[in-house]
Amino acid sequence: MSTPLPHSRVRVQRIAEAAVERARLTVVPRVRARSPRVPFVTLVSLLLVGGVVGLLMFNTTMQQNAFAATELEQHASDLTSREQTLRMQLEVLRDPQVVAEKARALGMVDAGAPAFLKADGSVEGVAVPATVENKVPILPPAVKKPEALDPKPIIVFEKPGKEQKADAKTKKKSDTDRTSHRDGDRERRMSGTRTNSGDRSTR
Amino acid sequence: MARLRFGFVVIAIVLSVFGVRLVQLQGIDPKAYAAMAAREGSEEVVLPAERGAITDRNGVELATSVDGLMLVADPQMTHDDAAAIATYLADELDLDYFQTLTRLREEDTHFVYLARRVPSTIANRVLGELEDRGYKGLSVRRDPMRDYPNRDVAANLVGFLGEDEALGGLERTFDHLLSGTDGKATYEVGGGNRIPLGDSTTVKPRNGSDLNLTIDRDVQWYVQRVLRATVRGAGGDSGVAVVMDTRTGELLSLADYPTFDAKNPLLSPKADLGSRAMSDVYEPGSVEKVLTAASLIDAGKVTPRTHIKVPPYLSRPGAAPIRDHWDHDMLRYTLAGVISRSSNIGTVLAARKFTADQLYGYLRTFGLGQRTNIGVRGETAGLLADPSLWTQVNQDTIAFGQGVSVNAVQMAAAVNTIANGGVRVDPSLVRGTATTDDGTEVGTGVATQHRVISTRAARQTMLMMELVTDVDDGVAPGAAVPGYRVAGKTGTAQRAGKDGGYDGTFTVSFAGFAPADKPRFTVYVVVQNPRNGGGGGSVAGPAFSKIMSYLLRRYGVPPTGTRPSTYPVEW
Repeated sequence: MSTPLPHSRVRVQRIAEAAVERARLTVVPRVRARSPRVPFVTLVSLLLVGGVVGLLMFNTTMQQNAFAATELEQHASDLTSREQTLRMQLEVLRDPQVVAEKARALGMVDAGAPAFLKADGSVEGVAVPATVENKVPILPPAVKKPEALDPKPIIVFEKPGKEQKADAKTKKKSDTDRTSHRDGDRERRMSGTRTNSGDRSTR
Repeated sequence: MARLRFGFVVIAIVLSVFGVRLVQLQGIDPKAYAAMAAREGSEEVVLPAERGAITDRNGVELATSVDGLMLVADPQMTHDDAAAIATYLADELDLDYFQTLTRLREEDTHFVYLARRVPSTIANRVLGELEDRGYKGLSVRRDPMRDYPNRDVAANLVGFLGEDEALGGLERTFDHLLSGTDGKATYEVGGGNRIPLGDSTTVKPRNGSDLNLTIDRDVQWYVQRVLRATVRGAGGDSGVAVVMDTRTGELLSLADYPTFDAKNPLLSPKADLGSRAMSDVYEPGSVEKVLTAASLIDAGKVTPRTHIKVPPYLSRPGAAPIRDHWDHDMLRYTLAGVISRSSNIGTVLAARKFTADQLYGYLRTFGLGQRTNIGVRGETAGLLADPSLWTQVNQDTIAFGQGVSVNAVQMAAAVNTIANGGVRVDPSLVRGTATTDDGTEVGTGVATQHRVISTRAARQTMLMMELVTDVDDGVAPGAAVPGYRVAGKTGTAQRAGKDGGYDGTFTVSFAGFAPADKPRFTVYVVVQNPRNGGGGGSVAGPAFSKIMSYLLRRYGVPPTGTRPSTYPVEW
């Protein structure tokens, strides 16, 4: 706030009162610049709310990720164990014992000695044909069972009279082809198990 | 004013209570409280180190670790449903029904094992099914399993694990190497999930190393089958077969019979769980004659054409006369004939050109009487007495392989020396190097070689051994491999019984290599106590032939196509 000096005022009045009167300075009423409150409050509120919500969302995402991580870890370990199980199955199939047994079942036999065909057309070595004779028994010996579980076959000698009776029976049966076939099959199977019960490696 | 003062006093009291509590918490044993707080919401998990695999030379796993789970129960919670749970488990996991039932009803405990080492897929499925049915109190825990996919193949070497520790074979010898070190992770949890920004520490596990063997799984399988058929066919007690790569000394197969199923080791007798190839000592018999002959030739005492008059028997002062395995009159053999017909008398007569020290020195450099240290537990060093203790009787019998004891790998390595041109290579079972639990380094990386006899002596010995499989001149035509030149030697040795004397039983064996003039493999087959009256040529010979034929075929070794040995056997 300015207060003009009293002596200068006097002098000016004396020189040109009208001009002075015109140019007279008055105190301009003070205008207070009032910035609007609403935007600021809005901004602060937004910041606050945004921060809180952001933090919340961030935390939620972290939690979600933690859930997802746990789940994925579980999934990974499941898959690992599944892979291992499959690998184990594969190993079983690759086992030379299994391969050999399957090959034998297909009727394959052990190879004989090979001959080598050389680049100049000559044959080196003696080729030996693969035969059933040179096969190596690959099945383990059967476990020896106690007498009670492996009884000796009971051999029944039939009397001649009975045999005829039996013959007649078979004749009757042979009319119905199917039945007799099935009986025959069963007999063969039974005799098969008998001979094999001793030593599996002789098969 | 009075109200204000009163308020200050109240605040002061409250604050001082807080202060005291603060000092109590922070000043006196703050760590205990911190630990208590941490324990409340944190979980510590052992990160188990994976046990290394034992693989064959091609990387095929002979022993491998598999994620397994154990099924455990809290009997207090399962008591009421015990019968139903036990029925289900008996069906699914082949558990014993009554044992499971008893466990599920046990009192005074909150923890029982139901099944251990169950593959995790199966365990999780079973647990899921039981939970779906509404049974409570069951859970699974980690329980690493050891799998032996090839069952009895190389079981005697690989060994097996018990519930928690290695019990035999390489599993035990290299336990430290294979097992590694467990790690651990500690983290805070809430509702079963890890708290994202919570404290966590992780100590990573150090996995065990793999053990790579020189064994070829397929060869091992075939050799074991041939050996089993041979031992059973001859009615023998046990048998051993060794297959060695001639040049490197790597053991492609080291087979024992009887053996055991590594998946169920406890079903077999304890005596069958080790490796007889390493732990059994026996007298090698006539196979040893080739070592004597090779030494004699190397020392310049004889040549394969040296004439030897072989009398019907050789009397010894103070001992029974030495006889041959067949009755004969005076024979006129060359040294080659003595070897090919396996004459004890001829060998003794030739070996008498040596002093005890000389013979001992050669046998020692051939590796007799010393451990091979290939990494198998319980290896015997064999028995080669100090020459100062030898009498003439001892020297005579040692010359043809009685009165000296060996293990099968030792003997195979000694014969391999002749195949390898006179240079003995240390046999090895481990590829690279590995350290056993007692600190010994073993493997191909530390195998050494040294010359025992000259190349010339080795070659001449080979030519004499070739006659053994000759149809006319030899005693083991059954050991021949069609199309190939094969050098070998039979052995039929008397076995020492429990009382120290010979008990009338025999050890029959055949050692040889092929192709004779450019050997790739040395094979040694031993059968203990055959009861069919067979000898080395008739029992072990055909087994040798089968194994050798398989090896040559498998590794694509062509015949050399050279002329066979033409040494005269008689004069």
